[in-house]
Amino acid sequence: MKHVNFSQPLYDTAQEIVDGCMGDAAPACQSACPMHTDVKQYVKLAAEGEYQQAVDVIRQKIFMPQVLGRICAHPCEAACRRNEEFSQPISVAAIKRFVAEKADKKENWNLAQAPATGKKVAVVGAGPAGAQAAVELRRQGHAVTIFEKLKVFGGMMRVGIPEYRLPRDVIDFEYGYLDMMGVEVKFGVEVGKDITFDELRSDHDAVILAHGAHVGSIIPIKGHEAEGVYSAVEYLKEISETRAFPRAGKRILVIGGGDVAMDCARSSWRIGADEVHQCSLEEMEALPASQVEIDEAMEERVAFNAGWGPKEILVEDGKVVGVVLQKVLSIFDGDGNFSPAYSDETREVAVDTVIFATGQVVADITDGALEQGRGGRYVVNKDTLATSLPDVFVAGDASGGAIVVEAMALGRKAALSIERLFTERALEADRNLEEEGAYKTRLDVPLPEGTVDTPRIHHNTRPAEERKRDFIQVDLGLTEEQVTSEGDRCLQCECKLCMNECVMMNDFGDCPKSLFSDFIEKKEMEPLLAYSCNACDQCTIVCPKDFPMKSIFMGARADFVKANNGHSPIPGHKAIEMHQKLGFSRIFTMAKKAVGR
Amino acid sequence: MTNKIFMPGCSLPSYNPEAVSKTAAYLKSVYPDMGAVQKCCGKPTAAIGQTEKFKERFADLQKDFDKVEAEEVIVACQSCFGMITKNASGQKPVSLWALLPQIGLPPELVGKAKNSDVTFTIHDSCSTRFETELQEGIRWVLKELGYKVVEPKHTRENARCCGFGGMVVPANPDLADRVIKRRVEEFETDYVVVYCAACRASMMGIGTKSWHILDLLWGPVVMQGDEPPANVLASPVKSWMNRYRSKVGLNRCMAC
Ligand SMILES: Cc1cc2nc3c(=O)[nH]c(=O)nc-3n(C[C@H](O)[C@H](O)[C@H](O)COP(=O)(O)OP(=O)(O)OC[C@H]3O[C@@H](n4cnc5c(N)ncnc54)[C@H](O)[C@@H]3O)c2cc1C
Ligand code: SF4
Ligand code: SF4
Repeated sequence: MKHVNFSQPLYDTAQEIVDGCMGDAAPACQSACPMHTDVKQYVKLAAEGEYQQAVDVIRQKIFMPQVLGRICAHPCEAACRRNEEFSQPISVAAIKRFVAEKADKKENWNLAQAPATGKKVAVVGAGPAGAQAAVELRRQGHAVTIFEKLKVFGGMMRVGIPEYRLPRDVIDFEYGYLDMMGVEVKFGVEVGKDITFDELRSDHDAVILAHGAHVGSIIPIKGHEAEGVYSAVEYLKEISETRAFPRAGKRILVIGGGDVAMDCARSSWRIGADEVHQCSLEEMEALPASQVEIDEAMEERVAFNAGWGPKEILVEDGKVVGVVLQKVLSIFDGDGNFSPAYSDETREVAVDTVIFATGQVVADITDGALEQGRGGRYVVNKDTLATSLPDVFVAGDASGGAIVVEAMALGRKAALSIERLFTERALEADRNLEEEGAYKTRLDVPLPEGTVDTPRIHHNTRPAEERKRDFIQVDLGLTEEQVTSEGDRCLQCECKLCMNECVMMNDFGDCPKSLFSDFIEKKEMEPLLAYSCNACDQCTIVCPKDFPMKSIFMGARADFVKANNGHSPIPGHKAIEMHQKLGFSRIFTMAKKAVGR
Repeated sequence: MTNKIFMPGCSLPSYNPEAVSKTAAYLKSVYPDMGAVQKCCGKPTAAIGQTEKFKERFADLQKDFDKVEAEEVIVACQSCFGMITKNASGQKPVSLWALLPQIGLPPELVGKAKNSDVTFTIHDSCSTRFETELQEGIRWVLKELGYKVVEPKHTRENARCCGFGGMVVPANPDLADRVIKRRVEEFETDYVVVYCAACRASMMGIGTKSWHILDLLWGPVVMQGDEPPANVLASPVKSWMNRYRSKVGLNRCMAC
């Protein structure tokens, strides 16, 4: 056969399919995960009891499955199709925790690294952003030193997130990976104090700032300077380190409606409070905290004043004696600007301690070398995390992240930028920026046939009255049976509906997108592919986008015939030609008008 | 009255010339002025990609249509239905299966199978998946005859292919085999009724008992344990002999 020149309309149709086919589109869970863990795959493996394989899948993307299995804010679950449809997402995080507890072994950790490059990178902060950045940089073969102010690993996971949610030995076990990867860590070194930012820069080829947001903020309402007023950062750090906060009294009010506020409230019980109150501008239904945190705080009998803002802290002898709360009418004005409006209604709560859980601010450790924006976040290029200094990048909360897994993705992003810096490429070169963070998937398919709403199982908590007085972990984790049934609920979201219908395409590829991008790229097609299409249209009928696969295969056949002197390239089709000749021959045909006409 | 002709197609005449004759005779009793054409519609030529050759061949058929001054072509083959719809100049295809409910069955056949203990699974042709009137006609005929039927999971517009389409059998026989196997897997009864002789050949090829709807119309009532007619299309010699007999039958029918 001569070279086949496929006609342009075929390429056009193929291109349309390649552009729109959802065959390779990630499930909502995976695209919502900033690290893009293959949730669908490991949930399936977990349900099948293949725990080791499940861990292997998780570890391809994240080095702390047990940590994330406990405290990840799990954007995957929020995006999960079962959440969208029934508000009962798959318990992705709990499944991850289970398989990691069951099967994760140090000896299986992947220690692969590129040959040493001779480049040196300094990372400030051993929180999730710094740790992930360090790991990535070591994989690329660079020498990495982490400078960490504290004497321990984990950042806010260690001194923010309470240990009843995240036992500290879990952090240390999983951070053990850093040492195995050859990351050097200098504990107890505060950049800006023990070593200057400039020194750091002159000693290294590049610097990543990942020092988080550790400055507590206290809203300057009347009475805020009284004894008994503390920031969440200070409060939780001390409790994390000592399981106590001697400056607190017995009746505590936490201001704020987010997860940090819940952690402060619940920690208060554990250090011996008699009464724990909360107040926030947001109503109960609009609290920013995750539902699990709210539920568990309610179980522990935190007294909620959601929808009530602090008007004034009442002070006697320089000490807090109460807080006046004011009923909130609205939080934002007509233009969507933050501008709370209150009614005249007030209520007074008698407390001796007030904790402000109203946001954390990023400190400047560069001595003004870098510009900072709202909340102290350094001004960076969102795509590359580059700053105005060519060798300095910022990751994690310090650059605008808000949760652990996002901090990790930002750490990885900074490392990918440094890789380009070191190889003298444009920072944006050769990277899929969309896949470096969370995005909304293109996947848009009908629910699988027979899908019914089934309730989720996401934790096994200890009784509230027992747990609220100790620091032992609240959630005991799922059982094997629960993991199986929870994993079985996963819809294994994907398109490939055509592949379910068509037998033959499965012999040649995994979805039309890959089949036809191959065709476009190589300008070639296997004749047998085109000639294996039954032209039955089943693929198109089920395709949410009605893509006409058949028309490409049939069109290609015409081009094959053209290139092959008018004949099909398939040897077996000689018989058809014979058959057709006969089917038109006089011997076997007739044409008669009716008699009498 | 529009000028009608009957066109049985290729695979049906090759499979069952008696059914062709009987159908022609019955149609003629309803439409005494009806003519007939036996010739291929050229679908296989088009399907293997011989675009130019197909044009020639369809022109050949068109000549016949014009010669007999056909306006409506009563077709018993779903490929003919599609090819005429797309390519004929001036002729409108009418599916035999859609026509039968309009003209009725010969009265002596109505209810003939009401005592049959067989439940037939209906296999629709994928090439006419959107022709609901045609599909309704098939169900109507079976009901008139008195047969009990069930629908497979993929039916009517979602029908799955028998593996024969697109001339895949000579190109990729192993694949065609897997396609038909998957099709019959979802059938709940061992008795299948089709309305395309090629579909029937695919099913018979893997040992699935199947009948063409014209077998049921003109042939004996099928009871549990009955064997279907032989898979004639598996033998080229017999097929061509049948095709010839069919032509002779049509000529005879048109002459009286
Ligand atoms: C109370 C609380 C609860 C939270 N709960 C959750 C949760 O359940 N799930 C979730 O996903 N996210 C949660 N978060 C958010 C999450 O902890 C952060 O988004 C994440 O830890 C940010 O990671 P990072 O690496 O950017 O910074 P951090 O984790 O803050 O780490 C920064 C590190 O830098 C060190 N450092 C700071 N300054 C210097 C300096 N000058 N020199 C050297 N080292 C320095 C710090 O000691 C720290 O170890 C919570 C946050 C808080 C405050
Ligand atoms: S059905 Fe097939 S062709 Fe259509 S979007 Fe899905 S994978 Fe792509
Ligand atoms: S059902 Fe499974 S695959 Fe689908 S979004 Fe949820 S976890 Fe992901």
